[in-house]
Amino acid sequence: MTSLSRDADAAQPAATPAAPLIVAKGLTKRYAKVIALDQFDLELGAGIIGLVGANGAGKSTFIKLLLGLIEPTSGSAQMMGLDVTRQGTTLRQFVGYMPEHDCLPGDATATEFVSHMAQISGLPGAAARERTAETLRHVGLFEARYRPIGGYSTGMKQRVKLAQALVHDPRLVLLDEPTNGLDPQGRDEMLTLIQRIGTEFGVAVILSSHLLSEIERVCDHLVEIEGGRLVRSSPMAELTAATSILLVEVDGEVEALAGYLRDREFSAKVNGRYLLIERDGDAVLDAIRDGVVELDLGLVRMEQGRRRLEELFGAGQEVEFEGVRPD
Amino acid sequence: MWALYLHGLRGIFGIGRSTWAKITAFGILGIALIPAVVQLGVAALSPEDVEVIAPEDYYQTIEPLLAIFCALVAPDLVGRDQRTQTLSLYFSRALRREDYAFARYGAFVTSILVLTVVPQMLMYVGNVAAATDVWGAVRDTWQDIPAILASAFLLSVLVAGIGVAVSSQTTRRSYATVTIVAVFVLATGISTAIFESAGPDDGRYALLFSPFHVVRGMTLWVFGVSPVIHEEDQLYEAGFNGIVYAIDAVVVSLACLALVVRRYRSVSA
Repeated sequence: MTSLSRDADAAQPAATPAAPLIVAKGLTKRYAKVIALDQFDLELGAGIIGLVGANGAGKSTFIKLLLGLIEPTSGSAQMMGLDVTRQGTTLRQFVGYMPEHDCLPGDATATEFVSHMAQISGLPGAAARERTAETLRHVGLFEARYRPIGGYSTGMKQRVKLAQALVHDPRLVLLDEPTNGLDPQGRDEMLTLIQRIGTEFGVAVILSSHLLSEIERVCDHLVEIEGGRLVRSSPMAELTAATSILLVEVDGEVEALAGYLRDREFSAKVNGRYLLIERDGDAVLDAIRDGVVELDLGLVRMEQGRRRLEELFGAGQEVEFEGVRPD
Repeated sequence: MWALYLHGLRGIFGIGRSTWAKITAFGILGIALIPAVVQLGVAALSPEDVEVIAPEDYYQTIEPLLAIFCALVAPDLVGRDQRTQTLSLYFSRALRREDYAFARYGAFVTSILVLTVVPQMLMYVGNVAAATDVWGAVRDTWQDIPAILASAFLLSVLVAGIGVAVSSQTTRRSYATVTIVAVFVLATGISTAIFESAGPDDGRYALLFSPFHVVRGMTLWVFGVSPVIHEEDQLYEAGFNGIVYAIDAVVVSLACLALVVRRYRSVSA
């Protein structure tokens, strides 16, 4: 029987700023005819990490390999300094998992089930119940927790799944498509919850999704997988760096302002109702202000464009402005 | 692992589950107690020492009942988690796959032990208490107690083994139930048929595959009664020493357990 006393464990997980959270070397998983994961070489630090890729790209396979639910065909991986194959049982004390698929029994109540899971993870009875109550509160299940899970909505079931992943106080949680099957409001709430987990509770989060907008909203690092291969792994900041395009909307003659700016050697392009101006330093900002005043225009909006994730994954280098589409 | 064991036990006896589950479990327990009650009733009423059912013959009366219990309970105990895919949640925790198998198996063995030991102890106590000379009766028969426990243990381990081994292979409860019943019925039937047709010398090995025969032989051995005594028995014709059956029971149980562990090792959650 495994010793689940954390103090007694000789191997302790480590995730200091110096030591990476996850290291994969040549991680490969091959089924009969399909290569689900092909030579993954990856190093990830703590934070909220997003795994993005189309369905079937290999996100779930990667997560399951990390958890030891499936065995790699070749290669190795370590989480928090512990090998996932050889030290899996020790490692899993500190890891929580929220699967993509349905996995809850219908006849237990949320409290019973999560408490049971806590006990399986080694918490003694009273501590398990306490942690269960706390965790269920954090995920937002209140009176409903005393009803059988069979009668829950999808949103509530997802919360229970999340709760059982958190109840044993893990250092890292792996969430496989956590917003699956949720309506927009449910998605929103789940993402907010995930963000809180990553920031307030100091738990490292690895979250997989096929929706870029979700990853963009919550994660600070992104890993892209396609066809089992690692396409890119970079911090979000790099990907959505501010570009040097300014969008200006005025109440009045757009062309006039464009001319004004061009006279002063700034490059300005008229795009329908808007002006796209290249920004090279702050001087242009003053020019715009002066131009608007002189020409007696109303300045409606001035905005810095940001590259959105979509265009990195799609074609073209279009710049996206919040709520505005240059046509 | 302990928590999982207790959880399995609770599930078997329907605690915290639907009323139907409770009815099944306690219903079977109730039926199992009937022979004990009858025995006690007779012993109490009759002035002499009477044994309606000798302890070593007890299992024959309840064997079918145990098979039914096994067929009904094992699939639920073991198949549920596979069906609801809760296994992923278990295996993503610090629980070794073997531990899961052992915990489930252990819970099942315990439940069968309850079914076998409780009625028998009841009978024993009742018999002894109703005897004209209580202490004398105890002195004469006290060896029955360890025999009861040992035989019950071997029986439980074997029946549980078969039940869990079969149930772990499939997620559908109904398939598992039918297969378990088939195993018990067919194994017994085919073995007996082979034995009868092939004659005692060659055919007796077939008996080793029949759960009921193995149980009977093993029980007789534990109680110190040679299986060769009862002449009308097939066991008599087989002429094996009782210990063979006991060993057979243990081996089969271990094989079943190994099957279960292997299944859980390889199933990808």
